[in-house]
Amino acid sequence: MTGPVGGVLLAGAAVTALIIALLLMVATAHLLRGRRSARDDRRKRELMPLVHAVLDDDPVDGAPLPDVVGAPADLDEIVLELLPQLRGSDRQTLRDLLAERGVVSRAVADLTARKSWRRGRAVALLGSAAGTDHIAAMVELLDDRSLEVRCAAARALGKAGDPAAVGPLLRATHGERALPSGVLGMALLDLGTTALPVLRDSLTGRNQVARGLVAELLGVHGDPSAAPLLEALVRDAGEDLGVRRSAAAALGRIGSPTSTEPLVDALSNSPDPGLQRTSAEALGRIGHPLATIPLLAGLAAEDIAVRAACADALAALGADGRASLEAVATGPGAAAPVARAALDELGPAVRRAEPVGAA
Amino acid sequence: MTHVLVVDDDPVIADLVAFRLGRLGLEVSVERDGEAGLAAARQLRPDLVVLDWMMPRMNGLEVCRALREDIDADLARTPVLLLTAKAQEPDLERGFAAGATDFVAKPFSTRELVSRVTAALPPGSVSG
Repeated sequence: MTGPVGGVLLAGAAVTALIIALLLMVATAHLLRGRRSARDDRRKRELMPLVHAVLDDDPVDGAPLPDVVGAPADLDEIVLELLPQLRGSDRQTLRDLLAERGVVSRAVADLTARKSWRRGRAVALLGSAAGTDHIAAMVELLDDRSLEVRCAAARALGKAGDPAAVGPLLRATHGERALPSGVLGMALLDLGTTALPVLRDSLTGRNQVARGLVAELLGVHGDPSAAPLLEALVRDAGEDLGVRRSAAAALGRIGSPTSTEPLVDALSNSPDPGLQRTSAEALGRIGHPLATIPLLAGLAAEDIAVRAACADALAALGADGRASLEAVATGPGAAAPVARAALDELGPAVRRAEPVGAA
Repeated sequence: MTHVLVVDDDPVIADLVAFRLGRLGLEVSVERDGEAGLAAARQLRPDLVVLDWMMPRMNGLEVCRALREDIDADLARTPVLLLTAKAQEPDLERGFAAGATDFVAKPFSTRELVSRVTAALPPGSVSG
């Protein structure tokens, strides 16, 4: 008995010792992290007056100019943290500061580093810190052998805010080293409204993935100038269906009443349920009364998703649309369940607020 | 002396705002979360509150609403300037509905901030 009991006790003691050792390691790591964090905070606090002095556009007469070049490297961290939160002359002042301290030139040199993490870090830094000064060098990294670096380059180009990056970013939608549409879409959105003219021009480009992405983005921007171009895409039966769907969705977001006619045509005549559904959703967003009858007709569509989209759109059209839905909901047809569901979604309060038949 | 309370959980931003407002001759206090900010507002009774929206414990809108509903009529009237990255149209509606006096959208310009603070305070509160 002594042998097995002794073995069990020994194993238990070993496990207990292991647990204690692990707990000690965790506690030590926690303590060290806390100390490091406190030290970083202290350093930041010490350097903040320097940042304030740099950003002070009305310095006290006779105050000495701060020595920004000789300040510790932690200053760069603070500036890089602050940079995305500021704009205008403040942002430019901080960018100038980073350039003066050699941060920008070191990052430019690192763009061709052997290690991918250094290239990624460098391009990310340039996107925040260099403005539009190194766009061409950053664009080259959209073709980097590392996917992470290519993604970092796309994001950095978006942050840099130069519309010249639109073309290269759209070219990155296809090919062997294509980037995910989500990454490119965010980068193109980050470019802001200055990119809109270039984006509109890109709607007629050769690459259908890029055309679809651009259509979506113009919708997100709610760009009314893009509406005629997007309407033409929706009408074009020879265009890729994915692009036409994206264009229809974008027209809904833009909300121009002139888009009602091409969307009604797509809903009524397209053989593609996806385009019909997207057109119905867009018509609901636009809310033009001319869409009422085509949407009612859409309630008889074969595809349940199209019927549901038409019912939701009618519910969004106001009192007339809801009155039509009420009539369908109480009828015997296949559209009755989706009509009832759309009305249920609205809730009784909305239906009471605008009684059936009220204009 | 005109007193401004800055409530922001980002110490770098809070310090920068405090510095810029201090240069206008204002007395500035800083708090790092909504709950502490509300307590400080009740205790210090500032002339203006610069408030971040996204904060731990109590967000900027909740602080703003609590100030507007305070039984102390003077405190309930304190101008509140929201300094926030949430500055889309629906955000502005929610902010003003909660009682914000004005907005400064992040990324922000310290010059714009100074102009809006000056406009929100009674004439003569700001020097220089």
